[in-house]
Amino acid sequence: VEVEGVPVAPLDVCCHDANKDYVVVTWKQPAVEGSSSILGYYIDRREVGTQHWAQCNDVPVKYARFPVTGLVEGRSYIFRVRALNKAGVSRPSRVSEAVVAMDPSDRARLRAGPSAPWTGIIKFTEEDPTVGIIPGEPTDVVVTEATKSYVVLAWKPPVQRGHEGVMYYIEKCISGTDSWQRVNTGMPVKSPRFAMFDLAEGKSYSFRVRCCNSAGVGEASVATGDITVGDILDLPCAPGN
Amino acid sequence: VKMFAVTEGKHAKFRCFVTGKPKPEIIWRKDGKLILSGRRYLLYEDREGYFTLKVLYCKQKDNGVYVCAASNTAGQTLSAVHLSVKEPPVRFK
Repeated sequence: VEVEGVPVAPLDVCCHDANKDYVVVTWKQPAVEGSSSILGYYIDRREVGTQHWAQCNDVPVKYARFPVTGLVEGRSYIFRVRALNKAGVSRPSRVSEAVVAMDPSDRARLRAGPSAPWTGIIKFTEEDPTVGIIPGEPTDVVVTEATKSYVVLAWKPPVQRGHEGVMYYIEKCISGTDSWQRVNTGMPVKSPRFAMFDLAEGKSYSFRVRCCNSAGVGEASVATGDITVGDILDLPCAPGN
Repeated sequence: VKMFAVTEGKHAKFRCFVTGKPKPEIIWRKDGKLILSGRRYLLYEDREGYFTLKVLYCKQKDNGVYVCAASNTAGQTLSAVHLSVKEPPVRFK
């Protein structure tokens, strides 16, 4: 049953730039807004093979573009979008095509077809507890997307990595101040990219990244320039593009 | 099973290369018990793609058989080694 005055469902929900950390979901605004203009959208995700839809954003987003984070690597997801106005929330859009939360390189490897696992002989080393190289600083930190509701950062791994996998901490600083705050206070991230929410609209920030491994946390990268969190959908080129 | 020895107080690092499609899920076990990442155990995939287990500051209780088990939809396999922890050399004041 249609509720009077609510928007019509959004159209053409698509997924872009899928990787193991996030999937960018886009859609088109419905032709009919309903009794009042659209205030924003809710994005829902469902893991393929389950029946449960989970709402991705607590606060409605205004742009028809949203990076969905918190996905489990290797699992498949479908997405749908609902539009909101003063009268209420629309019916959900048609669902997107299924997309796997996986890095493109891993996806290519998977296409070659299944093969049983093989484990090599286990190599052993005794290490002195004092040995442990803290990785150097990451480079080329850039903002690849900046909108009112989120900012996406990307960077290059450090040259000096230590001998383990490197992980990252992201820090933000409100322009004009000297106080850097860690954004991912819990787990460090494994991939050289990060999507951030909860930035104050209209404020300007700079960002920087540190590497860490079991030996400790490294020096901070060069900070990005000031990025204003605002109405402009700013899409500079990603590094290497 | 291959035997290795580590001096008490040192770190023991085990590295195992794993192949398979889809990418296998890797678990490490010690004497049959699942090893979880924590203060004394580090689990990670290193830059060369080896699945790595590091046992920090080895103690006598770390003696035992360590197994790296890999499984995916196509099957499963494992590799095992035995670790013994040596007494540290006696230190004189």
